[in-house]
Amino acid sequence: MDGQIHDSDEAASGWCGEWATLLMLFAAGEELDPAEEANVAEHLAHCGHCRETLERERALLGGLGQNRVEPDVALLASCRANLRDALDREEERGWWRRRIGALVPTNWMSPRPAWSAALLLLFGFSAGIFGPRLLEHHPQPVAQNNPPPSSVSPALSPDGDTLQTNQGGNSPLTALDLHTANVSGINVIPAGTGEPPEVQLQLNQQQPVMVQGTVDNNDVKRLLMYVLDNSNRFDPDVRINAVDLLRAKTNDPDVRSVLCHAAHTDRNTAVRLKALEALDGAEPQELVRQTLLDALNDRNPGVRIEAINALQSMAAKGEVVSDEHMLSVLRDRMLNDPNTYIRMQSAAVFRDLGPRQKF
Amino acid sequence: MGMSVALDGDARQAAAVKLEEEHGLIRRAQAGDRLAFEELVGRYDKDVLRLAMNLVRRPEDAPDIYQESFLRVYRNLHRFRFECTFYTWLYRVVTNVALDHLRRRSSRREDQAPAIEEPDGTVRDFFDRQPEQSATANPERVVLGQELREQIAEAMKRLSPRERMVFEMKHYQGMKLRAIGDLLGTSEETAKNSLFRATRKLRETLNFMR
Repeated sequence: MDGQIHDSDEAASGWCGEWATLLMLFAAGEELDPAEEANVAEHLAHCGHCRETLERERALLGGLGQNRVEPDVALLASCRANLRDALDREEERGWWRRRIGALVPTNWMSPRPAWSAALLLLFGFSAGIFGPRLLEHHPQPVAQNNPPPSSVSPALSPDGDTLQTNQGGNSPLTALDLHTANVSGINVIPAGTGEPPEVQLQLNQQQPVMVQGTVDNNDVKRLLMYVLDNSNRFDPDVRINAVDLLRAKTNDPDVRSVLCHAAHTDRNTAVRLKALEALDGAEPQELVRQTLLDALNDRNPGVRIEAINALQSMAAKGEVVSDEHMLSVLRDRMLNDPNTYIRMQSAAVFRDLGPRQKF
Repeated sequence: MGMSVALDGDARQAAAVKLEEEHGLIRRAQAGDRLAFEELVGRYDKDVLRLAMNLVRRPEDAPDIYQESFLRVYRNLHRFRFECTFYTWLYRVVTNVALDHLRRRSSRREDQAPAIEEPDGTVRDFFDRQPEQSATANPERVVLGQELREQIAEAMKRLSPRERMVFEMKHYQGMKLRAIGDLLGTSEETAKNSLFRATRKLRETLNFMR
């Protein structure tokens, strides 16, 4: 008879109060071990009061059971439909929000509007103050590769070029500068014969910066490459100037790669054309070859013509190693291009390269 | 005897297959399979809704508890480690949601069950609007049944959330006190005490049921 609870009413009446808990558990079922059940049964056999108590207990449970609420079909169907909607919304919230939601349940915030508002303010304030600092303290690797630029007033950088700023410090052109800057214009100042032209790049940002030098200057080169890599941020005339200037550096693999990127992705036809022109004399590496082949499917016929001309010129110099893919692209252009010139030139290149591949 | 052993063995095997099938569903749901999750919901949602209706005693709230419970399960399913049955885990979630709800409701007067006034001026509550299961044919029994349900509702209001929970789990969900204790994060002894107090309060209020 462990754990019995004294029923004060029964005890007060002097009738078997010590059996109250056991009777309750007996009525509930499946709670007593066989020995306890045997004890209760034996007691019930000779105690009318406890038998009556047990009957009352069972009547109570039966009465309550009969009056239980059962969910009807319509309610269940409506619950299921609402749950499906809620799950749809939940899926829209996405994986990360679910994880965050599990950590900081929204029902924690709703009853505590003041705390929630204070937290959000604190978070916003911290992000505003510390975010830019963190970014400045951890520049991208590309910024760390800079040679030290020149100083406040026009001064010579190590490679003889000039970086002019009004910032009053010797800060290098950081990745943050590149991210926030808007190149408002590129001025090309012609130099003497055989000399590379001087370039002036005006960066509009909180504190305007002007970068000046030839394309041999790392800052100038990086800025020009950045312009092409982020074509959506800069005007087409700035991008065309950037391609023109980088043309002199096609022996640089980074520049080649940026030009290929521009030929593939720039939304402006003139920029894509210029990029292909620039690649025409470039070292015929695989990336260039692939870019020219891809350009044969450009929607603009001018770009396709530039591509087939470049390929033909490379083929004539024996700089192209043909393969199945190249031949199939050429065959396709030869048969299907709507432009006659391209079909003819494709056939010519195919003729030049095809037999060589065969034998 | 041999037959009963064989039947027992078959039943055990069927239960094992069913459990394995359920584990498969859970794993698929954990991997993001929405259909598997909905199948799991379909297996238990009627029980969950019934439990919610009988715990909170207000039909307007039961769907909220149903939805909140399954959403919590959905969000936290990746934490289910198969250390207990899914049924136990699900019920733990439902009871937590229901307990939160009951506590919130008991602390807010505006959340008390809304009474609905009938055209004839009588005021009816939740129980009045539930379909009566056993006495639909006889008008006299309907009236008696309605009165009885009102009295049961009053008696249930006297129970604390935990007492109501334990009473419901024990008598109408068929759970053992040990499992109820686990579910509520307490001991079997505490669950037993809660059941005893709940029974005594109901007996005192519904002493005519004999």
